[in-house]
Amino acid sequence: MNDPGSGLIVTGLRKSFGALEIIKGVELSVAKGERHAVIGPNGAGKSTLFHLITGRFPASDGRIELDGTDITGWSAHQIFRAGLARSFQVTSLFPKLSVFENLRCGAMRNFGAGVSVFRLLDGFRPLAEQAERTMEALGLTHRRHVAAGSLAYAEQRALEIGVAIAGGAHTILLDEPTAGMSRTETERAVALIRKVTEGRTLVMIEHDLGVVFDLADRISVLADGKVIASGPPDQVRGDAAVRTAYLGAAAEVLT
Amino acid sequence: MKRWAPWIAAAFAALLLPHLFASGFGLSLLNRMGIAIVFALSFNMLLGQGGMLDFGHAIMLGFGGFLAMHAMRLAGLGWFIPTPLLPLVGAAGGLASALLTGWIATRRDRTAFAMITLGLAELVVAVVLMFPSVFGGEEGINGDRSDGPAILGFDFGSQMQVYHVVAVWTWISALLMWRTTLTPLGRLANAVRDNPERVGFLGYDPARVRFRVYVLSGLFAGIAGGLQAINDEIMTSGNIGSEASGAVLLMTFIGGIGTFWGPILGAVLIVLLQVALGTLTDAWQLYSGLLFVAMVVWAPGGLAGILLAHAPVMRAGRLGQLVGHYLRLIPGFALALAGVAGLSELAFRLEAIRGGASTGRIMGLAIDATAAWPWLVAAVLFLAGAALLNRTFPQARAAWQAAAQ
Repeated sequence: MNDPGSGLIVTGLRKSFGALEIIKGVELSVAKGERHAVIGPNGAGKSTLFHLITGRFPASDGRIELDGTDITGWSAHQIFRAGLARSFQVTSLFPKLSVFENLRCGAMRNFGAGVSVFRLLDGFRPLAEQAERTMEALGLTHRRHVAAGSLAYAEQRALEIGVAIAGGAHTILLDEPTAGMSRTETERAVALIRKVTEGRTLVMIEHDLGVVFDLADRISVLADGKVIASGPPDQVRGDAAVRTAYLGAAAEVLT
Repeated sequence: MKRWAPWIAAAFAALLLPHLFASGFGLSLLNRMGIAIVFALSFNMLLGQGGMLDFGHAIMLGFGGFLAMHAMRLAGLGWFIPTPLLPLVGAAGGLASALLTGWIATRRDRTAFAMITLGLAELVVAVVLMFPSVFGGEEGINGDRSDGPAILGFDFGSQMQVYHVVAVWTWISALLMWRTTLTPLGRLANAVRDNPERVGFLGYDPARVRFRVYVLSGLFAGIAGGLQAINDEIMTSGNIGSEASGAVLLMTFIGGIGTFWGPILGAVLIVLLQVALGTLTDAWQLYSGLLFVAMVVWAPGGLAGILLAHAPVMRAGRLGQLVGHYLRLIPGFALALAGVAGLSELAFRLEAIRGGASTGRIMGLAIDATAAWPWLVAAVLFLAGAALLNRTFPQARAAWQAAAQ
């Protein structure tokens, strides 16, 4: 299943903040086109792991490879250009810009608009069409002109995913996409994620184990800064180490 | 077509205005307004659209102006440099200084950016005074705009001819700056203003976006500098320092940073206040300062924000409902203003008297600032006005809210 040199491969990744080591040698391998979930108890380092992979913080040690290219130490915008996009656990939009403009910003780079001042933005037809399509997939077309800061919470969460996927990156990292959503909103979001990540690589942090088993091809369990298990859902479900390290309240879902 | 209508209207207005205000005073007012409009729009490119608070914006105007002034002097030595093209020289000067200062300042954002520009503003004034052969020291350098080659018989010596140079450049600059807001750079500037970190995760280096916007803004500030060199025929260290940078912040904010056209309103109003109040009182800066503070506290959207707040009311055809409420604000406002103006003028005059000046007149009235009663009257006026406003303002606001529903 793991085609070497393809997909996202993390080896020996470490990160310390001062004397405190948060990520303690993470090994993670996500094949191209796979839907991969990262689960683990609070404080396990899941979001920090995402920040390291996407260039928000530099790693203290280790190596991150995307499709055979070493992207360790690259800055966020370089990593995006290598084809990796992400969303945030704490909604991170452009609050004064409209829904449409938020999505257009998300897609701008991959649809050929550089930091240019000569061509008009409306002249980039495929870009506008992509923003339009994404808006429709999110069910936000009727909110087109509304400033992102004025949207309802669930709409903001949907737009957060939308901005990440609008550019058509081949690898997408979603940090708790369904956090704080109601049951029906979650179902809608899962359907959306399934649809838009078709044929792409997805890595997702998720607390809702229902969503995880529904969506993921493989699961990695992160506990205390290390991946303690990684494999198909059924295998992880039966793993003894996972049970002791992680289960607690979620035990009944796994059995 | 609809989006071009304001530009065509502005062009017609620019053709008409000098005939309505054909006096030397009127033309000088219009010229200063045009320069201020270009300067304020270039400032808002940073503040309103890019989220960059530049405390040293006059550096770019100043460098543009000084370079244009040197070009004007070269024209006097026989070089072929037509006066109407001096703003292009100014643009080059503004651009060059922006490349230099922006290279440092735009690495950071928000507070850090603002502090760097504050430091640069101080530093540049020191540099200007250190090189009197280039910048003319305390006196500055001057030139003669009619030294350039005559074009079609125009030597650009008269104010009317200068007006037309200013008007054309103001129109072109404003149009180009507006167009910038519709480009990828313009939208990315908004994105960097709202959330610089996310821009990085969308494939753009936010520092690079800031740098490009800053450099472009410097180019337009330089055009304003070139126009100022033509209009004033002198550039001094005062044109480049923090006071000039503060003035553009003031007018831009009072006009409103949330829209493209807000700063135009601010530039027009502040130049009017400067000139109108400047002839009446030495304390005009105090009044524009008060206006600024009042705007920041009560109308952070500026004049443009106040106007926009009435757009839904107008669409609903309910503007008439508000007129009565707004008229009722006038007495309180007038009293409070008279009180504040009285107190400040008295204080100003008292200081002058202590410094050896005669009792003199205050706003044309024979009032003795050393007596107690004028102070008392002014204080009572202010308190009465404030008390009135305290009643009428909430009513007016409630009426607006009802009408805007």
